[in-house]
Formats: sequence, C-alpha cells, structure tokens
Amino acid sequence: MRRIISVSLLLAAVLIVVPGILTLVGGGYWFRVMTTIGVFSILTMSANLITGTTGLMSLGHAGFYGIGAYATALLSTKFGWPFYLTLPVSGAITAAFGILLALPTMRLIGIYFAVATLGLGEIIHVTLLNWVDFTRGPMGISAIPGVTLPGVFTASDTTHYYAVAITALIAAFVLGRLTHSYYGNALRAVREDDQCAASMGLNVVGLKIQSFAFACFFAGVAGGLWAHTTGYISPGDFRFSESILILAMMVVGGLGSLPGAVLGAVILLGLPEFLRPIGDYRMIVVGAVMFFSILFLPRGLLGETPVLTVVRRQFGLAWDAKSNLGWRQ
Amino acid sequence: MIKLKHCKTLLASVCLTLLTAGASAQNKTIAIGYQLPLSGENAQYGMLFRNSATLALDDFNKSGKLPGVTVQIKFEDSKSDAKEGVNIARKFSDDSSILAVIGDFNSTVSMAAGQVYAQTKVAQLSQTASHPDFVKISEYQFRNINTQAYEGPLIANWAHGNGVKKVAVVAIQNDWGQSAANNFINGFKAAGGTVTDVEYFNPGTRDFRSILTKIGRSQPEAIFLGAFYEDGSAFLQQKLQMGLKQNVYATSSLYEKKMIELAGPAANGLYLTSTFLVESTEPHIASYVKAYEARYGAKPQQFAAQAFDATNIMLNAIVAAGGANATRAKVRDALAATKNFPGVTGTTSFDQATREPIKLLTKLQVTDGKFVSVK
Repeated sequence: MRRIISVSLLLAAVLIVVPGILTLVGGGYWFRVMTTIGVFSILTMSANLITGTTGLMSLGHAGFYGIGAYATALLSTKFGWPFYLTLPVSGAITAAFGILLALPTMRLIGIYFAVATLGLGEIIHVTLLNWVDFTRGPMGISAIPGVTLPGVFTASDTTHYYAVAITALIAAFVLGRLTHSYYGNALRAVREDDQCAASMGLNVVGLKIQSFAFACFFAGVAGGLWAHTTGYISPGDFRFSESILILAMMVVGGLGSLPGAVLGAVILLGLPEFLRPIGDYRMIVVGAVMFFSILFLPRGLLGETPVLTVVRRQFGLAWDAKSNLGWRQ
Repeated sequence: MIKLKHCKTLLASVCLTLLTAGASAQNKTIAIGYQLPLSGENAQYGMLFRNSATLALDDFNKSGKLPGVTVQIKFEDSKSDAKEGVNIARKFSDDSSILAVIGDFNSTVSMAAGQVYAQTKVAQLSQTASHPDFVKISEYQFRNINTQAYEGPLIANWAHGNGVKKVAVVAIQNDWGQSAANNFINGFKAAGGTVTDVEYFNPGTRDFRSILTKIGRSQPEAIFLGAFYEDGSAFLQQKLQMGLKQNVYATSSLYEKKMIELAGPAANGLYLTSTFLVESTEPHIASYVKAYEARYGAKPQQFAAQAFDATNIMLNAIVAAGGANATRAKVRDALAATKNFPGVTGTTSFDQATREPIKLLTKLQVTDGKFVSVK
C-alpha cells in the first residue's frame, strides 16, 4: 500500500506537478532545462548500474551515449524512422556495441578497467569525428526531427519534456527492479568482492557483461532523446568531459542510488542555470558544491556506498602485489 | 499666503511627477541577447566579443540615434557547450524584451541553438559561425563572417597566380577546417593546379611532425594551412625545424598578433588573408582601435572586430525596424536588408537569396614579424 502511494506520488510529481509549475513559471526555458536534466538522469542512472552497483569504474559512458545519438540521428534523417522505432533500436545497437567493447576489458580490474573504458570512450569519439563519410564527421547531423506522432502530437517543449520524463520513468523502473532484487544483490556482491562472489558460484564475467549491456541500452536511449530534442548533434557533444560530468553526477548524488543519480543530474545541470544571474562566478559555486559534497558527504547525498571506498579499492588493486597486477584470471 | 505656498509645492510636485513619468514612458529599454563562451576552453574569445559589443553599445546609446530608447545587451555564458547553448536559446526566446540575438562562438553551439531560434522565430546573427549549413537552418540565421566558399577559392587563385602548381593541404578536423580544405582544393583544381596531400589533424594536436614528414616526401611547391593561430604557430615552427622551405598560404583565422609572437621567425613569409587590418589608417577603423585599446588595454584583433561589426549591424537593424516600435519579425527583415554596412571588417551586405555575407578580403604577408598588406 505504501509502495503504491509513493509510486503514484512520483508519477504525479513528474507528469503533473513539475510540468504544471513549469507552465506557470512561463516557459520554454525551464522545460528545456528539465529536458536536459531528464536525459542526463537516464544517463546517470544507467552509468550507476555499472559503477555504483557493479563497482566497475567506467569513464567511457559518453561514448555509448554518442553511439545512441548517432544511431537515432542517422535512422531518422536517412530513413525517416519515427521516434518510437529509433529509440529502442538505438538502445539495442548501443547495447550490442557495449557488449562487444566490454568483452576484451572484462578481465581487467580496478584502475586498469577505468583506463580501458576511458580508451573506449575516446575511440568512439574519434571514430565519430573522423569517419566523415558515415557520420559527416565534425559537420555533425542537423535537422533531426523532434518527437512527433502525426495526428496525435507535434514536437514542442512540452512533448519533449513528456517524452524524456516517461522514458526516464521507464528507465528508473527497469533499473530499480534490476538493482533491488536477487540479481541486484549478485551485482553488489561483485562490487564488494568479485573473487568471493565467484567462489559462491556467481558468474562474475556474465554479470559484468549483462550490467554493461543494460546500462548501454539506456545510455543509447538517452542519446536518442538528446538527438530528437535538440535537432543537431556533433561529436563535440560526446567528449570525455561528458563522461566526467556523468561520473560527477553519480558521486554528488551518491553511488548505487537511483534517486541519487537523478538528484545529481538536477544539481549539476540545474544549479548552473539557476545561478545565471551571478554571471562569471556561477561555475565557481558549482565547483564549490562538488568539493564540499565530497568533503562532507563522502557517500553523496543518498549513496549506498562511499565513493572513496570504491576508489580506494580500485586504486589499491593497482599495486596490491597479491592480485596479479590489474588482471584477474 | 500659506495656502498659496502649499499650492505651489503641490503644483511643483505634480509637475515633477508628470515629468519623470513622461521621461520613463519615453525612455524605453529594448534588448539584444548575446550568447557567448565566458568560461570554459573558448572563454578568451567570449571576452573579446563582450568587450567589443559593450563598446559598440555604449557608443550607440550615446549617439542618440534612437532618442528615448535605451538598448541593452544581455550576455549569457554558454561555455561552448551545446547543452547550455540550447538552454540559453530558450531563455532568450522566452524573454519578450529581447528583439534579436547575437552568437554563439563556435559552430556546434550556434547550430544547436539555431534549431531553437528557427522554431521560436528570433533572428540570430553569429559573428563567427562558419559551418556551411548554419544559415541554411532557417531564414532567421545570419553571420558576419565570410564562409570558406568565398575565401578558399580566393586563396587558391592567389597561390596559383604566384606560380604555385602543386600544393599540399593541411587542416584541422572540424567543420570549419573541412570546408576550408575542400573549398581551397576545389578552387585550386579549377585554377589548374594539383593537390599532393590532404591531411587533417584532430583538434588538440600540437605535434605536426608526422604530417610534415609526409608532405616533405611528396614535395609540393606550397602548403595550404586551415588552422587557428595556436595550432598554426606550432605548425609553422615545426615546419622550420624540419627544414621545409615551401611557402604557406593560410586563412584569415591566422591573423592574430599572438600567432607571430608564438611562431617567432617561423612566421616570416606566411601568406594570409584578413577582413580586418589593425594598422589601417581609415578613420572609422583607427578610432575603433583607439577606443578599444584605451578601454581594454590591448589592440583588438579580427574576432573582436567581427563582434564589433555584428553588434553594430544588429543595432542598425533595430533602428531600421523602427526602434521603440521594433518587433522580432521587423528586426529580422531589417537585418536581411542590410546592404553596404560600413564596418571595421569591411563593407558588409547580406546576399538577398542565401543571406550569406559578402566582405572584402585584404591579402597580407608576414615580413620581419609584421603583417604587411600585399597585392
């Protein structure tokens, strides 16, 4: 009963209260900001499955976000596919890439895995930038149609907000079920001690690949939403700095927590917009918020595990002589 | 008597109230939105734009071209990030006091923001966006920079006219670099020359030795360089170190005093174009350079000058659109009708059909560490 109440409260907030307030405030602007926050909430929630729940530090999430965005952009501009086809297909394509690219890195642990994913993200970015015949390279892809269903609704700020909000709710539901279940506990076991998990009969590599696939699926969908709602994408939108932004959102919100991931996105994207009136000093304030949050709230706002513990474990593995230096057989 | 005194005070205060009310009704404020990078990796350009725009605006408000109207520019920092650029575009579109928008700096952000302005029907004038598709987004996009479709063939014919028959092309791997290289190559081939190599370098590359080695092997008679000044000066230095003797032809993006400071003697002999000449003796350019230097302590360069002109073109369009009675639609039409605008970066007209600007280019060569104009 309590669960039903909290779920309906969440639905009411996202689908009625927030758009209602935004309409009263009067605007396209805050709708647009909320749309961007929605896209990054999906991204952060998905990255959270890899980093927060499974404990693999991924620094290449922006690359997968880019694959999804380009898949959507190309499918909708070249073949005229509508959004209800492009979004799931982009998700599936990204998940396939995620599995393919994750396979060779699965035996890497700790900081070595993080560096390998950093490399993956760069490979994807450089490919998008230099494969000019296919991606149009630095020219980017413009005139991507918005989220529209002929005869039912047309592309507008409100439509885009709802498209992103509903997708974010679906992502939150799926990722929530995945993490708060036996399966999620198995992933947590991998995070806490993968050798121990393996000795208990869990297929560690399988679990890692699956979490990568699920996360990449939603990263791809988020990319698709970004392409549809912005109308123009270029490789510059999917640089390493975006991966770091996603990681920062997770850390501020709290590793391993879905509401934390959303909160992180709200803070790191909403705060700079909210602080526009103070002009040149706004990024200093944002930096200070991040600094103090890691100083005083090492678990993040809602985290289930302190980020420093994860980092220490990751880095510790790098020079722990007993653990085969970065490899796990 | 006391009564009369009271009456007088009353009368005076009524008069005063009426006067101030009249003045405030008359003194209307209208605004231009300016989105530009004031933080992040391109902040140095955003600062130049803000300096120039403020200078142009203060001059305009003092000039009394629009009596009773104060024009204001609202600056917003986009960090050269498409996410923020799109947010700003929405913010400006929602703000009913804003009649038109200038910016953004790079093409990625300008293009993404342009999708919004096309939808909300706000005229957008970028001082620098050179993406070939930028003005094709909608009839609301304008720019105050020559596209490479004009500059490329001009440099190609210049090089060919100087007797160069074989050329190697080096350009940065972004939208601008690609169109610079392609337009030059097409122009050069049309003039009857051959292209030995086409090499792109990724943004952030500072080591050009492998490209230079490759070029050295195919022995072209000259090199075309499509780059910005930081990369360009590194390229020129490394070219000197590798002992390549070929002349380099470059675009106006290298017209920057810092380029000569960074490249040192390696810059000598470089051929390049520019729309703006800081040493010019033409009175309106000289007075701009003087005013800019007096206020900000440094001489303006091409990008700053482009922003100065963009702001003035926009202010001019607002006057033409009726000043206090201007609407967004009228400003767009007035902007489109801009013809022979006498700016510091040359006379500017917007083509009636394509809305592309047409600006004259000056040919320069670096001699003894100075830009010298050549025929």
